[in-house]
Amino acid sequence: MADQLLEQVRDAVEGQIDFEGQRLAEMLSTVLLGAAGILAFLVGYMMQDIKLALYIGLAGSALTFVVVVPPWPFYNKNPEDWLPPHNAASQYNIDVDGQKVG
Amino acid sequence: MHSTLVRLQNVFGFFTTVAFTVATLIALSSFVSPQTPSANISLRNVQVVKGRPHYYSSKREEYAHIKFDLDADLSTLFNWNTKQVFLYMKAVYPSTRASEPPSEAIIWDAILASSSAPWNQNHFVHPDPKSKLPKQSNKKRAAAKTAPKSPFPIGELHLENQKPKYQITDITGKLGNRTDVTLELGWNVQPWVGALTWTNWREIGVWKGLQGGRSKAFAFPEVGAKAARPKDLETEKGSEGHRLVVGEEVPLKKAVV
Repeated sequence: MADQLLEQVRDAVEGQIDFEGQRLAEMLSTVLLGAAGILAFLVGYMMQDIKLALYIGLAGSALTFVVVVPPWPFYNKNPEDWLPPHNAASQYNIDVDGQKVG
Repeated sequence: MHSTLVRLQNVFGFFTTVAFTVATLIALSSFVSPQTPSANISLRNVQVVKGRPHYYSSKREEYAHIKFDLDADLSTLFNWNTKQVFLYMKAVYPSTRASEPPSEAIIWDAILASSSAPWNQNHFVHPDPKSKLPKQSNKKRAAAKTAPKSPFPIGELHLENQKPKYQITDITGKLGNRTDVTLELGWNVQPWVGALTWTNWREIGVWKGLQGGRSKAFAFPEVGAKAARPKDLETEKGSEGHRLVVGEEVPLKKAVV
């Protein structure tokens, strides 16, 4: 029981996501942070308000952290299955001194 | 990007890149914001008197007390990236030896805050020329809860018969009869991000050089040429004047009743 609980906690902290999810997370972090930076500069420059630029930049970054860092379910939609278990002997023929070992 | 820790590191790493890039852009944007500063300076009164550097000094030096008029429009120095402008008035006069550069001494200065700077008691508040009321001390003003307001927009100055903040002396201790003195305006623009910039006299890109900014040449009179009345030799304390400076006088404490 305790082992199971510990396993769950470890999984939650590690927050692993699948390969498609990793691609998506990479893309989202680049696009969101880049957009926040561009938006911060443009809006700040238009309004001639440097504090507005600062807050837009910080808000965009905070949003990116929330979206990208936790292992949200949509990062785990394409789980990679393990290969099916197979009998090693059926595929390989390893001979050592005329004796079959594997 | 497979685990939480790696994602945290990646996002934070790119965040620092974006923040630095945006800061660079903001810093550079200062240089495409046009500047057309202008200033008119004229001498009102100059007196030279004998004095000593501090109360216990046995050294006797000559001190010049210069009053001036200043009409300046520095509003274009304030763009979105300007935090404050440190403005100062220098007296510039040739050194005793021709091989040495001219001497410069600051007689007055002010911290002009931009609208984005948070309030600070050291900021310059332009005196109201229309106000007939006596000037209030900072303490009184705080008690009355009336925020000091400048009668002119930020960066515009119309000072008349302005008292100096500092009496000046020379390294030789002699100032009387020195000729070819000019008053010169100087500034230091302090941005939120980016480089500090000082007075520019020449045109650089969209930044026009300072128009005017120098008074006509005058001479320091002989020591005690005019009978100096104490009132004529008053200096003005800036709003930062309440600060205690090492070696300076301490402010008077209220007598305990």
